[in-house]
Amino acid sequence: MELKDYERDMTGCSRCSICKWIPLNQIKSWRFANVCPSISRYNFHAYSGGGRMLMGLSILQGRSELTEVVTDIIYKCTLCGACDVSCKQYRDDIDISETLQAFRIRCVEEGQLIPEHTVMIDNLRREGNVFGKPKTERGRWAEGLDVKDINEEQADVFFHAGCNYSYDEELWPIVRGAVTLLENAGVDVGIAGGEESCCGGRAYEIGYQGELEKYAEDVIGRVKASGANKLVTACSDCYSTFKYYYPKIGKALGVEVLHITEYIDRLIREGKIKPTKSVPMRITYHDPCHLGRRGESYVGEWKGDNKLLRPLKYKRTGKEGVYTPPRNILKSIPGLELVEMERIKEYSWCCGAGGGVKEAYPDFSIWTAMERVEEAKATGAEAIVTACPWCERNFKDAIKESGERVEVYDVIELVLRAI
Amino acid sequence: MGELKNKLIGIVGSESFFEDSETLEEYTSDYSFVEPKKPMYVVKPESMKEVQQIVKLPNENYVPLIPCSSGVPRFRGDTIPSKDGSVIVDLSRMKKIIRVDRRNKVALIEPGVTFGELQAEAEKHGLKVLMPLCPRATKSVIGSYLEREPIIIPKYHWDMTDPLLCTEVVFGTGDIFRTGSAAGPGTLEEQWESGQAQKNPMGPAQTDLVKIIQGSQGTMGIVTWASVKLELLPKVQKSFFVLSQNFDNLIGFIYRILRLKLGDECFVLNNLNMASILNEESEKIKNLKKELPLWTLAFCIAGYDMLPKERIEYQEKDIKDVAQQFGLEVTPEIPGIIATKLQDLICTKPSKEPYWKLRYKGASQDIFFLTTLDKVPEFIKAMNDEVEKHKYPKEDLGVYIQPIQQGRACHCEFNLTYDPTDSDAVRMVKDLFNSASEKLIDDGGFFSRPYGSWADMAYDKCEDTVTALRKVKEIFDPNKVMNPGKLCF
Amino acid sequence: MLQRDAYKELEDTIGPENVSEEQALLDGYAWQPSFSSSPKEKLDIWLWRPRPEAVVLPGSTEDVQAILKVCNRYKIKFKAMSTGWGAWNSPGTEGVIQIDLRRMNKILEINEENMYALIEPYVVGAQLQAEAMKKGLTPHIIGAGANTSVLASSTSMGGYGGTGISTSMSGRNVLGVEWVMPNGDILKLGAPGSNAGWFCGDGPGPSLRGIMRGMFGAAGGLGVFTKCAVKLFHWPVPHEVHVEGLLLDTMIKIPENIKFYFCFLPSFERFADAAYKIGEAEIGYMLVKQTIGSTLATMAPHLLRAIAQNQSIKAALNAFEHIFMFMIAANSKRDLEYQEKALKKIISETEGVLITISDMPTTASMALWGSIRSSLTPLAFRYSSSFATTLGSLVAWDNAVLQSKAGSEIKKQFVERGELFEDLVDNPWGGIYEGSTCFGHQEEIAFFDAHDLKTHKGWVEFEKTCVQAAVDTPMGVGISALGKGDIFGPLAGNYHIWQRKVKKAFDKEDLADSTYYITPEEK
Repeated sequence: MELKDYERDMTGCSRCSICKWIPLNQIKSWRFANVCPSISRYNFHAYSGGGRMLMGLSILQGRSELTEVVTDIIYKCTLCGACDVSCKQYRDDIDISETLQAFRIRCVEEGQLIPEHTVMIDNLRREGNVFGKPKTERGRWAEGLDVKDINEEQADVFFHAGCNYSYDEELWPIVRGAVTLLENAGVDVGIAGGEESCCGGRAYEIGYQGELEKYAEDVIGRVKASGANKLVTACSDCYSTFKYYYPKIGKALGVEVLHITEYIDRLIREGKIKPTKSVPMRITYHDPCHLGRRGESYVGEWKGDNKLLRPLKYKRTGKEGVYTPPRNILKSIPGLELVEMERIKEYSWCCGAGGGVKEAYPDFSIWTAMERVEEAKATGAEAIVTACPWCERNFKDAIKESGERVEVYDVIELVLRAI
Repeated sequence: MGELKNKLIGIVGSESFFEDSETLEEYTSDYSFVEPKKPMYVVKPESMKEVQQIVKLPNENYVPLIPCSSGVPRFRGDTIPSKDGSVIVDLSRMKKIIRVDRRNKVALIEPGVTFGELQAEAEKHGLKVLMPLCPRATKSVIGSYLEREPIIIPKYHWDMTDPLLCTEVVFGTGDIFRTGSAAGPGTLEEQWESGQAQKNPMGPAQTDLVKIIQGSQGTMGIVTWASVKLELLPKVQKSFFVLSQNFDNLIGFIYRILRLKLGDECFVLNNLNMASILNEESEKIKNLKKELPLWTLAFCIAGYDMLPKERIEYQEKDIKDVAQQFGLEVTPEIPGIIATKLQDLICTKPSKEPYWKLRYKGASQDIFFLTTLDKVPEFIKAMNDEVEKHKYPKEDLGVYIQPIQQGRACHCEFNLTYDPTDSDAVRMVKDLFNSASEKLIDDGGFFSRPYGSWADMAYDKCEDTVTALRKVKEIFDPNKVMNPGKLCF
Repeated sequence: MLQRDAYKELEDTIGPENVSEEQALLDGYAWQPSFSSSPKEKLDIWLWRPRPEAVVLPGSTEDVQAILKVCNRYKIKFKAMSTGWGAWNSPGTEGVIQIDLRRMNKILEINEENMYALIEPYVVGAQLQAEAMKKGLTPHIIGAGANTSVLASSTSMGGYGGTGISTSMSGRNVLGVEWVMPNGDILKLGAPGSNAGWFCGDGPGPSLRGIMRGMFGAAGGLGVFTKCAVKLFHWPVPHEVHVEGLLLDTMIKIPENIKFYFCFLPSFERFADAAYKIGEAEIGYMLVKQTIGSTLATMAPHLLRAIAQNQSIKAALNAFEHIFMFMIAANSKRDLEYQEKALKKIISETEGVLITISDMPTTASMALWGSIRSSLTPLAFRYSSSFATTLGSLVAWDNAVLQSKAGSEIKKQFVERGELFEDLVDNPWGGIYEGSTCFGHQEEIAFFDAHDLKTHKGWVEFEKTCVQAAVDTPMGVGISALGKGDIFGPLAGNYHIWQRKVKKAFDKEDLADSTYYITPEEK
């Protein structure tokens, strides 16, 4: 995946600025019309999806150089993919997200490294997670949980916690609750605990493509050994990595990959989970980028020079992301009133945590999260509910910093309250 | 002087050149309080070529030129010379109706064409002229439109230039220019051949010089023809009134029907003005005035070529629904007046003689400006306060409120009627005129047509506009021959 | 590179985070492949405009004023832009500062009773419409789309739009304006200049709106516009329209008082007649030509590519070339009945066929909401990756239709030679404006490949040929005249001479980039 492979994408940019807005048909107010956190914060055109592509084109054509300032602009972006969705309403021939990913890979190859990201990779290589937390403590989240260890016995379902859930103690009730819900629904579930490895997705997103391959092999090996026919995760980032990036680099998992919300939705419909207790609350649901628009399955590549001729099924539009299952779950909980924000589904506003932004640009990350919290408040909701630990952590951090009175829940937490 | 005279005669011919006292007197003063000044000569050209030659003359030896196209009586003072040695360029003999185009609903006319003349021709094509409120018989159509006089059908008033479209103008430099789509490519005849009709007032390209000429009181150049919008002559028409003692009660209703583009003619008159339009004799006006409510909203509904009866029927019902929402009653009658009388008087005809504003007392000083409809009550109050302060008889005050720009703005007009032979009355009205004008402009009235003493008042409020306008003047009339002393020039 | 003192002054004035001269960042402003008609031999020269010296992001009128004063002090040219779509947004020469007005993005007022909005430069059509619709109003949104700046179109560019029959065009919708002149002075046009509100942009006396713009604006060549009031129009749907989907998958519940049609007419002449009658009947919310070519190019480009090879299908489709989309948005049931009856009568009288699309919710949803929101235009890039338009003068409707006839006849030859993409040839866009006024425009679309020099050159030659036809026939000064006064002026009363005088009077130092306006001296 090289930047020059995307020259035609870049030269195709018509400079229409659609990448800065949610789909025009969906704009319901002045306040919540923007979709790109980066340009909304920093304003120069270069901070938009289209603008970054033009920087890439400029460098590719030798008109300018990859400097520290340019690198900074490139990475002040969560790679949320909203620009890609907006552009692809109109364009069949431009893949902004892939171009921006290729740009990051080029930064790393040319040694234009963001110091905080270097730390993340060092942490990953040393401790198996980007946070630098001890590998030996990875399995602590599951202590006391009566659940199969797939390192010792096989299970139908391999539950992958992910690095964030493994180490963020405040979020442990969610991941523990997820496992408990599955077990109580009669699911034969197992975990890798301390032996679980990172999915490699975040490392890939910050430009280190080699890490993805390494961890993909690790995960695939473990899944195979587990005998599972399903890989279920509660982390949207991991979900997206499994569904899209692994197959893209030719690493097939060979099992059904589900996000916990997809699985719980299924189990509710099968009558195996019955939310019966009332949870009287007005809530709004935040679509995590990696579960929604970036949660689509990989459908393969089309080989050709002119993407105008590419069959539409190969165009990654975000439409096939996971939007309905979490909403189904919430609607099935008695007493819960779900109100939608203006920017939802494939045109959801990002939480601000992804793409290495939380680590390298914490102010920007918190600002982005607060924009979302404002939008949640505008619905009259008491709480913002989501399905990704990165989103949850960033919203909690933002709310704590700002003193706002908005609760943050995971879908799983509300299900647990309802049973 | 003699040389100038000879040159002028050489251009227009001796039958179109005047220096006799009687003729000069006609242009020396008008009904306004602008200081009278006798012109040196009056010329009445009959073609663009003559106009151009006239304009080129003073650029060699400074001679102020003042264009005028309407006949007497005049009211604004904009055609009274400000400088000695002025020459009036009276275009009233340029009376050609060059073309009326039914398909495109447009007429191409010369400046001397009056409303009555154009309407007579338009009717032959099933069309009508967009009228101001009862213009005087001698009023030039182009003159009226160039002065941005409001028309009485707000829905046809899309932009402030309407109904004026393209113009041929001789700038103060002596250059000829055609504005809008008339500019070219092609001659007029070639344009007509290819289906054009001088319909687009904008441009050409990146300036709208018609907007500079309009409102300029002849200080930029002289228009020698213009294309003007016409509309369909109604096949069927009905008039209605909403009567009220309180202007405020009418505001919501007016906003609503204009927003929904219901109806055609639409304006509000107070009892004096309504009575003055409906009657020609002062005593009858006085009597009718007493019977009328303080305010009358008059509006008409027209059916055109397409399903005319159905149009009237549905619009009448819809308007009545709106009226009901505002607690108002729509009636086809004003007490004592037959239904169609107002319609006959205002829709397609100029004012009968005497001109309606002069009927009650013999003279009228008009104060008018632009505002928005919701602010009109404040201005009415301010005017009433001024009237009281100056002990002007309140019952002699006419009021005319004309929504424009499809209801987004409003021409607000106060008519101070008085007996011009009564010197005390004249003095009082003069004081009131000046005092009230200052008050209204201070209160936020936008005096967009700054005649006479309004010019200083208006331009004192917008220094930056003055700077810019003077730059514009420098372009189109660098020698300042065109109507010097007007506006901010 | 800017003088260091100048750069420092800019940083001190608006904050260093709002100024940049990073080369790759500047190229984001130099890239302008759309609607550029500067013929060059090399593609890369075509697509890249001159790189600005720096970009500045003012946050207020005072910031703009301060920036311009710096420019005046150091004799630096500047070019203002908002959303920036189109070659006229970028510098036209070296040595220009790009003023990006993105931070000035507020809707300052929506005055419901007097039906206008007061806005800053970076308010886009969709935002203004979304807010205005909450009060039962809508702005005019230009054909380029609701992603463009309303202020930029109103003060500085063209302004044609699909709903012109009811919402006119941008140049006729401007009320009061706040203008930072090239020398840094502030000028307010009309009522705001006299502190009398924003409802009127004309006077006292002559209207300086006539200097600000004509058929088109100065495209940055006369300074920077920082506020303007624009008309809003009645939108007769009292509730929020709930929209599912993004664009082609849009679904709405069609409001009861809205009807949507395709009207098929048998000839250019009948097509023109129908529009005249509709205008005279004073019905309709939208009337805009909608060709099969552009429908396929935007909605089903793969299909159009296949059809392009098939002569008999093309011939069959060419029989349906005179189509307009028509929308009724009625204020009452009676109004709806009247308009429907009148429409049917007109289509019958003009030997046309009327298809009621609003009875087909799936098709209607997408087309209707896309038309109201003006969100469909960038789909035109799907077919060949680029497109542009020419002709399109605003004239009496018969002549506008003549332009589409001429444009299609000229295009045939270019398509046959492979110098333009096949689009079934008769492919203009536009309609009538201002109800009964019945003037209108038809701009001819041409599709070409952004990456391919042959079709780029095809576009240039096509445009030239059309412009020549407009001169010969004649068919008005169209959209290709933007910034080309020295070429078009002599054909239309030497307007360039006056425009040049305006430029000299208001920008004697020639600091506002003249490339798309007129230079103070003839080149």
